[in-house]
Amino acid sequence: MTGFVFRKLLRTLFTLFLVVTFVFFVLRLTGDPVSAMMPDDTDPAILDELRKQWGLDRPLGVQYLEYWFNLLQGDFGNAYRDGRPAIEIVAERVPATLKLTLTAFAFIVIAGFPLGIFAAVNRGTAIDRGIMTISVTGFSLPNFFLGILLIFLLSVTLRWLPAYGSDHWYNLIMPVITLGTAGAAVIARFVRSSMLEVLNAPYIRACRARGMTERAIIWTVALPNAAIPTITIMGFMVGTLIGGSIVTETVFAWPGIGRLLIDAVTARELAVVQTVVMITAASMVFANLAVDLLYLVIDPRRRYASGTGE
Amino acid sequence: MEGPAEKLKADYSTPLEISGLTVSLKTKAWKCAIVEDVSLRVRSGEILGLVGESGSGKTVTCLAALGLLGPAWQTEGEIRLARTRITDAASASQLVSVRGREAAMIFQDASASLNPIEKVGKQLTKTVARLRGVSTGEAREIALDLLRRVEMPDPEERFHSYPFQLSGGQNQRVMIAVALAGRPELLFADEPTTALDVTVQSQILDLIKSLRDETKMGVVFVTHDLGVVKEVCDSVAVLYAGRIVESGSVERIMNAPRHPYTLGLIESMPTLSGHVPEGIEGQVPAPDKRPQGCAFAPRCDKAQERCRTQLPLGARSDGGDSVACFFPLEGNLGRTERPELSSHSRPADGPSTDALLSLKDAACDYDTRRGKFRAVSGITLSLNEGDRLAVIGESGSGKSTIGKLMLGIEPTSEGTATFMGNPVPILGTSDHIAFARSVQLVPQNPFLSLDPRATIGSQIEEPLEIHGIGTRQERRARRCELLESAGLSLDLATRYPHEISGGQCQRAVIARALALRPKVLICDEATASLDVSVQARIIELLRELHRMHDLSIVFITHDLRLARSLCSHVAVMRSGQLVELGETSPMFEAPEHPYTSQLLASMPDVEVADSRTMETMQ
Repeated sequence: MTGFVFRKLLRTLFTLFLVVTFVFFVLRLTGDPVSAMMPDDTDPAILDELRKQWGLDRPLGVQYLEYWFNLLQGDFGNAYRDGRPAIEIVAERVPATLKLTLTAFAFIVIAGFPLGIFAAVNRGTAIDRGIMTISVTGFSLPNFFLGILLIFLLSVTLRWLPAYGSDHWYNLIMPVITLGTAGAAVIARFVRSSMLEVLNAPYIRACRARGMTERAIIWTVALPNAAIPTITIMGFMVGTLIGGSIVTETVFAWPGIGRLLIDAVTARELAVVQTVVMITAASMVFANLAVDLLYLVIDPRRRYASGTGE
Repeated sequence: MEGPAEKLKADYSTPLEISGLTVSLKTKAWKCAIVEDVSLRVRSGEILGLVGESGSGKTVTCLAALGLLGPAWQTEGEIRLARTRITDAASASQLVSVRGREAAMIFQDASASLNPIEKVGKQLTKTVARLRGVSTGEAREIALDLLRRVEMPDPEERFHSYPFQLSGGQNQRVMIAVALAGRPELLFADEPTTALDVTVQSQILDLIKSLRDETKMGVVFVTHDLGVVKEVCDSVAVLYAGRIVESGSVERIMNAPRHPYTLGLIESMPTLSGHVPEGIEGQVPAPDKRPQGCAFAPRCDKAQERCRTQLPLGARSDGGDSVACFFPLEGNLGRTERPELSSHSRPADGPSTDALLSLKDAACDYDTRRGKFRAVSGITLSLNEGDRLAVIGESGSGKSTIGKLMLGIEPTSEGTATFMGNPVPILGTSDHIAFARSVQLVPQNPFLSLDPRATIGSQIEEPLEIHGIGTRQERRARRCELLESAGLSLDLATRYPHEISGGQCQRAVIARALALRPKVLICDEATASLDVSVQARIIELLRELHRMHDLSIVFITHDLRLARSLCSHVAVMRSGQLVELGETSPMFEAPEHPYTSQLLASMPDVEVADSRTMETMQ
């Protein structure tokens, strides 16, 4: 077991290394922070001075090595404008994003699974078709559009919810629906097809033949088996949520790292952008690691196939 | 008025009574009867064999009796389990209370019939707790005890295994233990041993018999293998196209079948004493294309006008003899002996000068995750011109690997494989193309080896095209010749594989293999996926081809009876080793290796000891 986890962890670290490298070079090749920050008519001498001050005049390779050198010491660099450490700026935004994405993730599971199961059990009926139609609509709607639609409906027209803010629990409702709907729709479809496959398996018929009730079969036998393949999708879902949170946070003025990223990119705050990207990449990569490990826990066949069994 | 699943007074003497059962598959637009007017009765302690070929309705009958058919099915007629009447209107909770308690069921593929992600002990414990209403602790004890009763090796250890860690036979033991959990009065066994090796099959059959003796439960044993029927059943109901055509005691049916179909089935079975199977012409009609009169009439050589227009009175399986035929056969079954195919008598292992294909000290390794796996080792055997060599053994014995070595699909890791004195070229090399003209394969599943999107005719011609043989016209002519020699009508050339039957597909595959006029045909379980009456006809075809074209055949099979009926020599494989090699008849009469004797003893056989006088008269 430890050997397996160790190998997975090594691969995870390598992925992170690639992400950091890629982000570093792409950011520096696509725009100059100094000219983005200063007014257009600034004296070029001043610009050069600033570049020198921030170390941007040196060769890229040197900057890159220095960046790694600092990173390994826990120094993520400072913001150009106010000189605060980038990690600090990002860290104060993380809780808001975590609150949003974790709630959205819970929403995806709580809405997606039952809908998928319900559709599978009522295969071919109006219920099934209804759920699937909603599901197609759900993941076809771009989430900025869904967000604006919700604001228009619930805030502007009905005046039930404030259009922005993040202090109360009810502020979460619209952002979570905006962020989670597409995921819930995908999960519902996936759970449905996975359940249908399992419900046709010989062991389900054998369960019926020994007098298990349909309800017990669905919840204690079919669902655990059908859930195994959906775990992969859940891993991907973490990535979708983080990506989606950028748009959602912008639409609802949510004070998370998504909005921070947008602002930082516009201002070419390289250290902040790099830190945000690294943190999101790390969470995706670790989510995938978690998925791999979760497989081992719930699927005995994998446990033994990977040589980690008892 | 009777309620839907009305509780009846317990009737322990007949745990199953079905009368006038018709089961149909229906949609809004159409309705098609799969099982028609079936009546049968099983008494306590009786094992009733439900025999028939695929599509005859055996499994559907069992599923209907447990109310396990889906909403697309409609049942008419009466079904009574031990204490309960099963009808379409029975509520889910009524059915649930019956299943497992009054009647249980075991299935063909035991490994797939257990929850793959739960330990078998836990599955068994949960079932015991639920069906007997005991605590989990008590249920655990009972579950362990059940595992002992089904003679599971190391029950305490196996208790903590997952299904994928157990063999097919062990999983079937678990399934039987699960079925016994609710102390049912009736057990439906749906081909429970079909997927198992013969030695394991005979253990499971013994187990079912001894449990029957112990518990006095009735058993409905569904199978297509009359040898198995003879081994375990007390009485038999023969199903054909959804109807019972004949029923009676095993002895009577096996010795003096009265329905021509039953006779045909028995004659289709190869036997250990070398009966050459005779198949039944034609094929089982599809459920929606069943003829108006007797469904067997189109295939029956005794059929008269009346058979085609009128339906004979249905046979009932209720203890007595019954046959649904206007012109039932009388007298005992005899065997028509057919001349043995000539074979040059020679020791198969000796270094022979005119050996066509031979393996010398051959071994074959496969690369696996955990290093090399030696599938076969030290194999020395040879195939002479005109030989028919059977390679027999259980699953994992390495018999298919021998075929692969002979075909050049796998290289030998040690030793040599030679064809006419030269090493067998490996698949993918340029030499192999020429070699492939002489040695051809007939694989197990004909559907998988035919291109679903090409016509049969073009696929038969394809080898000729690949090897650039003949002009278009010549190839066309050869195609007709091949179709004919494989016993296929010429109009099949324009059909696609899914439009023809399994037997016809296998004939097409054989025709394709013969296109290049090979010297050797390697048949790897070539009849294993076919019904017995169809299998018999393919065996007949192979014998014919051998005679006409002086073809040498390597016949890889798990069925010793087939080896006996077709082959001149037999090689017995066990865990990668060749344990016995020799001529067929002497070996079957006096096997030298204990494993060969064990295999022979395990093989269920229909052969009747003495009565060999042919007396089928009207």
